[in-house]
Amino acid sequence: MPQFKQFPMPDTAEGLTEAEILTWHVKPGDLVKVNQIIVEIETAKAAVELPCPWDGQVTELLAEVGQTVEVGVPIITIDLDPGGTAAPAPVAAPVEPAATNGTSTGKIGEEMPGGRIATLVGYGPRAGAAKRRARVGSAPAAVVQAPAAPAPEPVVAAPVPVVNPGGYVPLAKPPVRKLAKDLGVDLRSLAGSGSGGVITREDVEQAVGAPAAAQPVQPVVDSGSRERRVPIKGVRKMTAQAMVDSAFTAPHVTEFLTIDVTPMMELRARLKNSAEFRGVKVTPLTFAAKAVILAARRTPDVNATWDAAAGEIVYKDYVHLGIAAATPRGLVVPKVRDADRMSMRELAVALDELATVARDGKTSPADMMGGTFTITNVGVFGVDTGTPIINPGESAILALGAIRDMPWVVDGQVVPRKVCQLALSFDHRVVDGQQGSQFLADVGALLADPGIAMTY
Amino acid sequence: MAAPTMNRPSNDTGESPVQTLTISKALNMGLRASMEANPKVLMMGEDIGKLGGVFRITDGLQKDFGEQRVLDTPLSESGIIGTAVGLAIRGYRPVCEIQFDGFIFPGFDQIVSQVAKLHYRTQGKLRLPMVIRVPFGGGIGAVEHHSESPESYFAHTAGLKVVSCSNPTDAYWMIQQAIDCDDPVLFFEPKRRYYEKAEVDTTAKPAPLFASRVLRTGTAATLVAYGPMVRVALDAANAAAEDGTELEVIDLRTLSPLDLGPVYDSVRRTGRLVVVSEAPSEASIASEIAAKVQQECFYSLEAPVLRVTGFDTPYPPSKLEEEFLPDLDRVLHAVDRTLAW
Amino acid sequence: MSSPEQWTHPEPDSAPVATAATPTAEQVIAGLRATDEGGADLVQLLTPEGERVHHPDFDIDITAEELRGLYRDMVLIRRVDREANALQRKGQLGIWVPLLGQEAAQIGAGRAMRPEDMAFPSYREHGIAWCKGVHPTELLGIFRGTDQGTWDPVEKKFHPYTIVIGNQVLNAAGYAMGQKFDGKVGDADGEATVCFFGDGATSQGDVHEGFVWAAVYDAPLVFFCQNNQWAISEPTERQSRLPLYQRARGYGFPGLRVDGNDVLATLAVTRWALEECRQGNGPILIEAFTYRMDAHTTSDDPSRYRLSDELEMWKLKDPIERVKVHLVKQQWADQAFFEGIEEESEALAVELREFCVNMPDPPPGRIFTNVYAEGNPVLEAQRDEFLEYVSGFAGGEH
Repeated sequence: MPQFKQFPMPDTAEGLTEAEILTWHVKPGDLVKVNQIIVEIETAKAAVELPCPWDGQVTELLAEVGQTVEVGVPIITIDLDPGGTAAPAPVAAPVEPAATNGTSTGKIGEEMPGGRIATLVGYGPRAGAAKRRARVGSAPAAVVQAPAAPAPEPVVAAPVPVVNPGGYVPLAKPPVRKLAKDLGVDLRSLAGSGSGGVITREDVEQAVGAPAAAQPVQPVVDSGSRERRVPIKGVRKMTAQAMVDSAFTAPHVTEFLTIDVTPMMELRARLKNSAEFRGVKVTPLTFAAKAVILAARRTPDVNATWDAAAGEIVYKDYVHLGIAAATPRGLVVPKVRDADRMSMRELAVALDELATVARDGKTSPADMMGGTFTITNVGVFGVDTGTPIINPGESAILALGAIRDMPWVVDGQVVPRKVCQLALSFDHRVVDGQQGSQFLADVGALLADPGIAMTY
Repeated sequence: MAAPTMNRPSNDTGESPVQTLTISKALNMGLRASMEANPKVLMMGEDIGKLGGVFRITDGLQKDFGEQRVLDTPLSESGIIGTAVGLAIRGYRPVCEIQFDGFIFPGFDQIVSQVAKLHYRTQGKLRLPMVIRVPFGGGIGAVEHHSESPESYFAHTAGLKVVSCSNPTDAYWMIQQAIDCDDPVLFFEPKRRYYEKAEVDTTAKPAPLFASRVLRTGTAATLVAYGPMVRVALDAANAAAEDGTELEVIDLRTLSPLDLGPVYDSVRRTGRLVVVSEAPSEASIASEIAAKVQQECFYSLEAPVLRVTGFDTPYPPSKLEEEFLPDLDRVLHAVDRTLAW
Repeated sequence: MSSPEQWTHPEPDSAPVATAATPTAEQVIAGLRATDEGGADLVQLLTPEGERVHHPDFDIDITAEELRGLYRDMVLIRRVDREANALQRKGQLGIWVPLLGQEAAQIGAGRAMRPEDMAFPSYREHGIAWCKGVHPTELLGIFRGTDQGTWDPVEKKFHPYTIVIGNQVLNAAGYAMGQKFDGKVGDADGEATVCFFGDGATSQGDVHEGFVWAAVYDAPLVFFCQNNQWAISEPTERQSRLPLYQRARGYGFPGLRVDGNDVLATLAVTRWALEECRQGNGPILIEAFTYRMDAHTTSDDPSRYRLSDELEMWKLKDPIERVKVHLVKQQWADQAFFEGIEEESEALAVELREFCVNMPDPPPGRIFTNVYAEGNPVLEAQRDEFLEYVSGFAGGEH
């Protein structure tokens, strides 16, 4: 099969840019051999004979006697396989990359056949691979070790904005990791009892129950079906237990209130620019927290606890405010202790820090205990409202909805205002409808018109 | 493989086979035994003949074996190594002495360009069964360039083998084994320990050359050391024992190839490792050990691997060297840190 | 100082045109010239015009057959050199190190050596390899990148090519010391060693240390320096104030300069030097005064640092041409002989070319073979891990 190659005007090592064809020593149809002189050219300095790089047959002379040709421009076409059948048009590229074809006077820095740049001491650099080479064999079907973080349901729980799942590495020493791995415990589901939140051997052993009874829990993956089975343990287990305890012990009543929080948002904007609040994050949650604290003074029932064992309702002089947060470990409710003693600014700082710590998964067990009231901010998910479940040990929980532009009636006109829904679930053993409604109305009034706080 | 005979010392003096020897004397006896066993063994170095060497390691050898087997060479380290290459090709087993660690560098080119590569370059057609002996390390109150620890450069160079003895028994046997080895061996001798004594049984069967050894068993943590630091590690372990902390001590003996099997076994039991070495830690053998142990023993580590080493400075003036060199206190300080993890 | 343009485009009616033989002061300072003047001490037995001349200290009785043999050697090794150069141009070799112009220096020295004499080359001594029975195809792997030299150095008495400049001189000194220690030096049947290096190498410490050691130990070593005038782009003036052969005096042994383009002179002088060494009168320094007609390696560009008329001067001193002229004048060779050599060189070129293009790439595991004589378990584990990784690619190796 004919194989056409074109021989370019070479740079004969004297920094040539062009040369003149003096004499052709071959014509089309001639058979030529490697190193046979095919043409004489004149350079700036001397007449130079050029050898043929290939064996073959001359197909075409591409330059005439007397013509000046630039270096690199093809001057002759040679068929390397003249005995072959009828062929397509000659190959256009002057220098072929394949090993046996083409020739080059490759000086340092110039491209050689094959595309590499000539170097004094070898072939020169080669471009690295841009794509991975395919590997053989199949990876075994992935065995699911850890339960996925529960998808937050607005009805059940709503958190502070969540970090990408798996965004941190649980703190544990290598031997503890190995133990966890062997026992099938997901370290991300544990709160570390060691200093700094480090997960200890004991933490792992407790997570699977008595150490003696510990068995490696291997989730089963039925790779043929469309189901995935995840063992119930860790935070999920704890959360579930808490929800059941609460939902089926405390009679839940949920009341709803829709409010126009445009003044609150305006106040927020003014506070942002004020000296006192410079650099402090003030959010709707900050206002809601403050409103809850103020309103709870008037309706202390919502801050009390039904102590069935002692046969007492416990009224508390402090507000340890819990904020529901979704973290990679699952739902946690860290508390701002003595929130009622904080100024708005202190409250804002405390809430921001709480959110950061929870995101990093570093909320300590101490911070997750002893709450008196909980706020769940479903608004960050764009959700309007819900029927939250009260945290065991508390008597009420407020769901703060998303703030939207909605039509509202102001001075007889329908105008777009910032509107928000509040939902308060309370324990009807402790809180009657009147108290619950009063409390909710107070919270709503404070958010709708923050100036009302002056009257408290 | 290597030439068969090893040191069966002549007993014509009627001496007991167990003798109390310094490292210096043990090396001298080992070299003598090798010279007697194989006529192709040659010693070459500066001042090793008439003077017997600046540390007297080759004392008496030229008198007994002649100037053609114990050469007082020109002052030319590149020449000592380069001509040894030619002699090795010719069929000799040269034992080169580099007078002090800091003077190995003129010969570094010959070592890494030729000694390390000729076997590979010729795919086995040329063998270089040569030994390069180097007194190394500090602690002798010396002027500049006489207290270096350059062993990491050579452990980093493929084609070389690197060992270091820490005691007279190892000195006696390891030098003979290195001479018998068909690969080029860098033989690092702890010069500050040259005059320390111990009992040596010259008829006992020696341990293999490229093997580490557990010198002391323990449970709380593992100490790994080589050359001059082995003594420091043992002293630290004895001091710790008085406080009820039992440390395991391992003498590496071979730096390339590393024999870390016993170290892995130990770390799997103790969970904690401290590596002790005079050489600066940056990009060192101590660092290599830390990397390998964390890879092989990852799930066993109760604490990260700690390295107690010289600092990443040139070796300081001798008045400061006691601060620079790892000592018993620094080792135990590291032990405290690892136990507190 | 004048500007560069004046050196290549001299003003009309000014001083005589600068040439390699008559450089301007600026050219000398800039090192942009090499001399073709060998000096009065140059030993020559065959002029560039093919005339036999006689030298009081060195002479040679050369027969027709011997001279035809030397001619054949030089023609074939030049052909090998040109063919390998062409193979590099086609991308079949990474580089080639050309010996063009130095054929007489190498064939003369090579044919002076006996089989038991050891040679330590640098990396351009393809002519010495030829004389030692190393087939030219065995040189290709180094430049193709498939191996670092496949011949058996012990069997061929030809050390591997040494790329670090000057290292081999010390290794040769040690080997020669070994010959002496073995009692092989002291009479006409003795052994000797020849180490080869260039003008540039004479600046390296190892070469000077080699001079010291060989002198101090009376080693049977011939230091054969091919002064081809250039160390890549630097002329010999950059290496030394005085002619290289004169350096030997500083170390206490004889140094001679021979016309490196005269195969008879190099043969005669090297023979003499080897005889001296065998007798125990070594070492000896021979400076073969020659010229590197081509580049340092294939991608070097000599036009950047030397004038082309220098090349023209040296073309007039071609080593092969003068032998051909002499053979013809003496009627020691006829047309049939020359055609026969031509055919033989063509066949050798074909053989080289075919061998080269068919050289297979070594398998990945070859990275790990023969690093140690006695093995290394750590390396072996690394190799096993690597080979397992390689076997994990669909479609096999690269």
